[in-house]
Amino acid sequence: MFHLEIITKWLDEFLRTYLLDGWALFIEFVLIGVAILAAYAVLALILIWLERKVCAFFQCRLGPNRVGPFGLLQSVADMIKILLKELIKINKVDPFLFRTAMFLVIIASICTFGALPFDKGIQAVDFNIGVFYLLAVSSLGVVGILIAGWSSNNKYTLIGAMRSGAQLISYELSCGLALMTIVMLSGSLQLSEIVAQQSYAWNIFRGGIPAIIALIIYLIAGHAETNRGPFDLPEAESELTAGYHTEYSGIQFGFFYLAEYLNMFIIAAIASTLFLGGWMPFHIPGWAGFNAVMDLIPPVIWFFGKTFACIFLALWVRWTMPRLRIDQLLNLEWKILMPLSLINIILMALWIIYV
Amino acid sequence: MEYIKNIIIGLWRLMQGMYITLLNLIRKKVTEQYPENRGKVFPHDRMRGELLMPHNDANEHRCTACGICQMNCPNGTIEVISKKIIDEATGKEKRVLDKYLYNIGSCIFCALCTESCPSNAIEWSNHFEHSVYDRSKLINQLNKEGSSLMKKEK
Amino acid sequence: MKVIQDLLAQMPYAEVVRQDKTYLVTVPKEQLYAAASLLKNNEKLSFDYLNDIVGIDNGDSLGAVYILSASQFPSYIIRLKTLTDDREQPTMDSVIDLWLSADLYEREVHDFFGINFLHNPDMRRLFLRQDWKGYPLRKDYDANPELNPIPTENENLEAMEDLPTVDIDLNGKRREQHQKLFEKEEYVVNFGPQHPSTHGALHLRVSLDGEIIKKIDPNFGYIHRGIEKMCETYTYPQIPHLIDRMDYLSGTIHRHGYCLAVEKALQLEVSDRAHYIRTIIDELTRIASHLLGWGCMANDMGAITAFIYGMRDREKIMDIFEQTCGGRLMPNYSCIGGVMHDIHPEFQKKVKAFVPYMRKMLKEDHILFTGNPIARDRMDGVGYLSKEQAISLGATGPTGRASGWSNDVRKIEPYAAYRHADFKEMLRSDGLTFDRYVIRLDEIEESLKIIEQLIDNIPGGACCAKTKAIIKLPEGEFFQRVEGSHGEFDVFISSKGEKYPWRVKFRSPCMTLVNTLKHIAVGGKIADLIMLGGSLDYVVPCIDR
Repeated sequence: MFHLEIITKWLDEFLRTYLLDGWALFIEFVLIGVAILAAYAVLALILIWLERKVCAFFQCRLGPNRVGPFGLLQSVADMIKILLKELIKINKVDPFLFRTAMFLVIIASICTFGALPFDKGIQAVDFNIGVFYLLAVSSLGVVGILIAGWSSNNKYTLIGAMRSGAQLISYELSCGLALMTIVMLSGSLQLSEIVAQQSYAWNIFRGGIPAIIALIIYLIAGHAETNRGPFDLPEAESELTAGYHTEYSGIQFGFFYLAEYLNMFIIAAIASTLFLGGWMPFHIPGWAGFNAVMDLIPPVIWFFGKTFACIFLALWVRWTMPRLRIDQLLNLEWKILMPLSLINIILMALWIIYV
Repeated sequence: MEYIKNIIIGLWRLMQGMYITLLNLIRKKVTEQYPENRGKVFPHDRMRGELLMPHNDANEHRCTACGICQMNCPNGTIEVISKKIIDEATGKEKRVLDKYLYNIGSCIFCALCTESCPSNAIEWSNHFEHSVYDRSKLINQLNKEGSSLMKKEK
Repeated sequence: MKVIQDLLAQMPYAEVVRQDKTYLVTVPKEQLYAAASLLKNNEKLSFDYLNDIVGIDNGDSLGAVYILSASQFPSYIIRLKTLTDDREQPTMDSVIDLWLSADLYEREVHDFFGINFLHNPDMRRLFLRQDWKGYPLRKDYDANPELNPIPTENENLEAMEDLPTVDIDLNGKRREQHQKLFEKEEYVVNFGPQHPSTHGALHLRVSLDGEIIKKIDPNFGYIHRGIEKMCETYTYPQIPHLIDRMDYLSGTIHRHGYCLAVEKALQLEVSDRAHYIRTIIDELTRIASHLLGWGCMANDMGAITAFIYGMRDREKIMDIFEQTCGGRLMPNYSCIGGVMHDIHPEFQKKVKAFVPYMRKMLKEDHILFTGNPIARDRMDGVGYLSKEQAISLGATGPTGRASGWSNDVRKIEPYAAYRHADFKEMLRSDGLTFDRYVIRLDEIEESLKIIEQLIDNIPGGACCAKTKAIIKLPEGEFFQRVEGSHGEFDVFISSKGEKYPWRVKFRSPCMTLVNTLKHIAVGGKIADLIMLGGSLDYVVPCIDR
């Protein structure tokens, strides 16, 4: 298997041979920071293009096809446009909070993004409480959304923010519980450890029925956490015009937009890491030849392949279903997903003991 | 049991809906790529795009400057300016068309002018690309310079 | 009919003129309320549906015509007319407690004619700004732009919230009271005039309690063009082109209604061919309109893909229109005496190809959206409109039929070629949002059936009857109903025998639908309000004539 670890290892050794350990570390930190921000931006551009293209195809349209081949440069052009746009100054907002909100949202999103294991050795921080960290940091975003809605001093944004608060906090629960089933299965909170355990069989195969249920619950709850698709109540274009980010313009709005797309990626990436084996190739025990062929595909491709499959699913759901109403949304969480995931944890315990 | 049944039925229905969108994902797309297929796809013959006054090779039209179209127009889109000339053959004074002004900016394409024209002097063309940079360019003179009334065919 | 004769006999003060199934009843101003309540509140045959209130200025006197029909025998119409000589401060009794729809109609008459309806708690202007000077549809209205200059400032919201009531106290003195629409601490949100899902420039002021709606106040007039006033200076053949621009989704049907009214007045014989062609075009328009309505409702509920699918199928109809009529959104096809030009040679072939395509797509639409548990759950149990309420509100069309009110004009008085087609009037009884939703799709199916029956049997002959160069209607009042895609569309023409009509009034089916929204959305959530707006499927240019 070709791991990108080789490159990072080589870079580390290279720096350490010429510099003091402290300086080498410092340069590595800077490099990692730059790499994460760059990957974040590039992924966002790809995702925006992908969403528009897939959405168009679902709707019998062609989608962006004017800028560059297949409209590939469309989102780059849009990015330039959004960077050049005027930041409209609104008179009656709370200026400090109004400008802080989007940073909170995007910081939460970047922090989560940084902890994802893209490949063996391509992981900025490998906490021994990785899963816990992901859950904790990603839920910070809701604070930003609440602040954005409140500080805009607009009735639509306030309703949007309140909806979002109710939604994100509730769905956090079943999200966490679904991940807990996998943590039970693997007995570790460390992401690299969880991935390493899946080298022979991915968690959905290892965990059987409880793992599959957990995956479905996680995908639904995670999708709800991204404020997209049938769960886009905080934005609810046809009801609240644009929900909590109605008053934002230019790159301020762009930050919310970026965070939304990257959150989609993060949810898909967590799903593929915890349930679908992360960067591990698809192996069938006993089929040595097949496994060898699978090993030829680089792990990074495996990781992104699985993630984009999950993203496609999310887009597909988004462009098929109507929006839920707020009471349906809460019913779905508290009456269906939450009890199911609690039962599922017991099921998983039984599975671990007896199977 | 009812609870679980409902969840499964719900999921099944959602998947049916997703099947429809998937079906459309692979269907032929309906988008018309307009500036590219310009000249390849024509609007239908009857499409009312713009008013025209057909002229024959001898630069003659059929408009007698009677002004019925101007009277019928609901918006004052048409202005028929006539002039009087002396007919050489009979020596009588005769009214002929001087300028036929058509303001496409206020036209609502109701076709009352073409319907009411007694001598079929005006007709609709398919031309639909009306945009111009200046409002004054929206006013077209339909009769060509130096054109004259067509002799009646006998 | 005997029952009506008996009823009218109880009104000794009334002057009755009968024309076929229409009774023209003139009552003095003082007896208006008595006559109206007699017609409404009798046990044998209650005239429970107020089609419209038409304000009239006869030059010397102002008046109002109440067009009434009974939901049991909808083919009979009573035109209750009353006049007042007072041009300074004209007043009339309000009938708002008899018919819920009278609310907006009276405000409209007040707005354009300055008649104050006593005891109506809301005598604001309906379309014009509250500070407008003069009453535009009066014959002596001064249209000088200096009187009402183009406003440079927003309309004062305070003035919009101030509800004047006019009444006359015991001494016969006129009294005006004022009342506030909203309490000071209410959380009032403006939905519109610029909002993604108000279907045009409609302004809803909504008082909220969290997500729950407490009160709705619709505000019209943002795109009011004064079409009824313009009609008074247009000749009869010119008017139809304005009608297309009122309700742009069922413009063809409304135009057809106007042409029928003028043909009835002229006693013009229209060929069967024209009738058949008009009917087919009408039904195609209805399908197009319902498809758009379906798509918009889905879009309002957040399913944008369904909206695009609706538009995609509608495009096929637009293509047929373009080929035969020459226009897409504004086909401009019916004219007085028939249709503008004969059908295109490929028309029949294209329509026949469209019918099975639409059936297939309808099936897919059902799977995509009707079966969707999220959509079902949102639509079930929300926005209940009872039959009585629907009749009283005048919520015609699919909305009324979803509540069980049989109001299809195509069945009541079959015009054009509807008597040659075998079709069912779609009726549902629950009156919920889901019924209003699904009845549209069912009506598409029925329309397809009508088209299928007629398309092969278009008789030969001329497609347009010859009319005089200058059309003059005989003196009198003419009235015609047609079934538009959003509800019943009525044309009322009052003629003095001239080239121009004296007064033209169009009943806007959409205005009553917005009034319905005001009644059924209270207690629901914001998401419900938007969805109900979609399910009622109103078109704002139709309201703002």
